[in-house]
Amino acid sequence: MKHTLKYFFSIWLLMSLFLAQAQDTIPTKTSPQRTKIEGEIPEAPKQASAKPLASAKTDTIIPVKKDRYGLRVGVDLYKLTRGLYDSNYKGIELVGDYRLTRKYFLAAELGSEDKTTEDDRLNTTTKGTYIKAGFDYNAYENWLDMENIISIGLRGGFSTFSQRLNSYKTYNAYPYWGEMPWKPSGAEFSGLTASWLEVVAGVKVKVINNIFVGFSLRMNVLITDKKPSDNFENLYIPGFNRTYAGNFGAGFNYTVTYFVPLYKKTVKPKK
Amino acid sequence: MKKILIVSLLFLFTFSFSGCEKDDICDANTPTTPRLVIAFYDINNPAVLKNVTNLKVIGDGKTEGIVFNSATDDSKYLTNGSTISIPLKTDVNTTKYSFILNSGNANSTLTDVDEVTFNYTREDVFVSRACGFKVLFSFDPSNPLVHTAVPATKLKWMQYISVEKSNIANENETHIKIFF
Repeated sequence: MKHTLKYFFSIWLLMSLFLAQAQDTIPTKTSPQRTKIEGEIPEAPKQASAKPLASAKTDTIIPVKKDRYGLRVGVDLYKLTRGLYDSNYKGIELVGDYRLTRKYFLAAELGSEDKTTEDDRLNTTTKGTYIKAGFDYNAYENWLDMENIISIGLRGGFSTFSQRLNSYKTYNAYPYWGEMPWKPSGAEFSGLTASWLEVVAGVKVKVINNIFVGFSLRMNVLITDKKPSDNFENLYIPGFNRTYAGNFGAGFNYTVTYFVPLYKKTVKPKK
Repeated sequence: MKKILIVSLLFLFTFSFSGCEKDDICDANTPTTPRLVIAFYDINNPAVLKNVTNLKVIGDGKTEGIVFNSATDDSKYLTNGSTISIPLKTDVNTTKYSFILNSGNANSTLTDVDEVTFNYTREDVFVSRACGFKVLFSFDPSNPLVHTAVPATKLKWMQYISVEKSNIANENETHIKIFF
């Protein structure tokens, strides 16, 4: 398990590097054209009479670029549809983000989960709600009026939940007296809490008008984890997902969101 | 460039699932349900361990003894060491074993059989997701064991049984000392 996780992390890190590089190269493609234009604009008024060529060039610029700012709200389709085919799962996650600046978005997820986990020797049901809040940084340079997002972000997550041990098996390395059957338990542990940090890599693509589809991958680090008792531990935390031997976890979502435009802002050319 | 982006994202997506595979197997080194550890001592020199001769241990109601070594024939049920570890029943509070000394000896008068019934309470303790729970035992404080010879008229070959640890929580210590 540790090995798989290790690979998962390293590949993930590798891929995230790859992502960063890919985005770096996009502006360089357009940069020659751009620097020319950007270099000329501020100088234009001063030298208008002297160099009519410059004004001729400015005419070729695409009309002023305006970014739309607003609120995006939606739902995680994965959690929503999973209940249809997985009888052990019921859950919903609402997602939202608000564009703060050109690159930064305030982002949050709010969800509720009811999941029965069937392990080889444990059967547990976890119920609870969670909230994740943080920001996304859009690293994608859009062309024209595109509004796609390839983001990296950070969230703080918090969950309150209860856990019920439905049944369990005892482990006996020397089954001379035979393997023991499942034992019913029904022990309920409520008032549990957990908090964690999440690194989010995500993509959102505008499909039509204000509708976006997106998915995100998340790596979680557990910060606090209130254990049910000395004799048990949290095997699943709503929002955080399955816990591992270390403090790490992983997750993803697949969202459909609707963008509510609030105002527009002109994109200032870079100097 | 865009293609590379898409491909790398697809990779990310697929690798996210490889993290979900079932890879939890209870590690053999994890302390789980402990066995009862019995050490044999010399009655004439109680501080010194004494090896048994062809001891066979059979659970009550069982036909096969506890396997002590990796031999392929019936000698796998025999031990000539000074300590043994035997599993207790995890579903009831008593376990009865027959301890057969000089088992299989051609001269059946040399074979001694003692029966010991261990009385205890059980507690299920959580170990981990992979291992589930383990069972820990505590000897009944008033009546930890019942010791009889078979047949009862015969002398017991175990001359004294001492409970060293009333809690059986791991296999790193001797729980019972048998002097003979």
